[in-house]
Amino acid sequence: MKTIKFNITRLSLLGIVCLALISPDSTSAGAKRDEFGAVVQAIEQYYHVKHQSIPFLARAGMKTTTTAMRIRGGQYKRLAEAGSIRIAFFEDQDFDSRGGLITFKTSLVSAVGETWSPLIQTLSPKDESQTYIFIRNSGEKVNVLVVTLERREGTVVQVSLSPHNLAILMQSPEDMGKAITNDATRDDN
Amino acid sequence: MKTLFLSVLKPAALSLLLILLAAVATTAQSARIQTNNLDYLAAKASETVDVNIDEHLMQMTAKFFSSTDPDEKKIKELVSGLKGIYVKVFEFEHEGEYSAADVESIRSQLRGGAWTKIVNVTSRKDGSVEVYLMTVGDQISGLAVLAADPKELTIVNIIGPVDLTKLSELEGQFGVPVLDIEQPAKTKAKN
Repeated sequence: MKTIKFNITRLSLLGIVCLALISPDSTSAGAKRDEFGAVVQAIEQYYHVKHQSIPFLARAGMKTTTTAMRIRGGQYKRLAEAGSIRIAFFEDQDFDSRGGLITFKTSLVSAVGETWSPLIQTLSPKDESQTYIFIRNSGEKVNVLVVTLERREGTVVQVSLSPHNLAILMQSPEDMGKAITNDATRDDN
Repeated sequence: MKTLFLSVLKPAALSLLLILLAAVATTAQSARIQTNNLDYLAAKASETVDVNIDEHLMQMTAKFFSSTDPDEKKIKELVSGLKGIYVKVFEFEHEGEYSAADVESIRSQLRGGAWTKIVNVTSRKDGSVEVYLMTVGDQISGLAVLAADPKELTIVNIIGPVDLTKLSELEGQFGVPVLDIEQPAKTKAKN
């Protein structure tokens, strides 16, 4: 009787462990997806290009852009929260989708995953120009992922914004991508 | 056998009917227009803009605008209550790149039901501009604009209490394009 009871308990425990292992929560906690990395990889795979990281560009004497975006109040303020910026650059590379812009868009959306919501997408096949902005809640902040591709260059930026900054940028979503990218690549020094 | 049919199949058929009716009712009550079937046009278009501001984002935007700053207060009032703004704009280099069936796929969703076409609405833009309002009881629960220019197709869908005045205030903001809609003094509506 004791053996049967022990076996049942062992089986129950095994069942619980198995359920825990296959439950979506445990999988997401165990292997947290890096959507930023997945997006960069999707671009690299589709266009056969290679991204450059910030340190490389800094060594090469990167000229940073001064963003035109100014938050009301006169003085320029950073949009992105300190330390929240992730950037990948693609410089002087060929972004020719050869008519397959929609195919690329599908693979990009797949790489971003379902936790991000698409906010705006602008496509201009003739100029090979594409902008995608995705948004995700992150506690008190909002994560924004901006993908900007032109014929010869591209940028992937992920930042955290305060909801207030996001609200202000939301007024003109078409300019949001440029504002965030410029802000992320701006040199305060 | 007949008893079996009545006792088992009849309730099942009734349940299925109720589920179908609920699904139809849910679809009918939603002011959200489905535009995914037009996505293929992006490959033909010289430029495509697709804006999706859902309810959560809309509410967050409204919440975080300041109530003390006069400019922000105005925008806060404008967007409060709105449950979404969805815009799709396709610009083409040549005429005839989209079909009448593409336009009809949108128009058919706005025909009848709670949607009412506002007549006497004109726009300074070329082509036809149709404006529809969805009303539930006395409340406006959505607005749709279908602007079909020979080289441009625009669909604007705003969910929530919105009228033509609010639409004109939203133009140029939150992804809503400038539609230059002119509303006559007295607006008539027809189904």
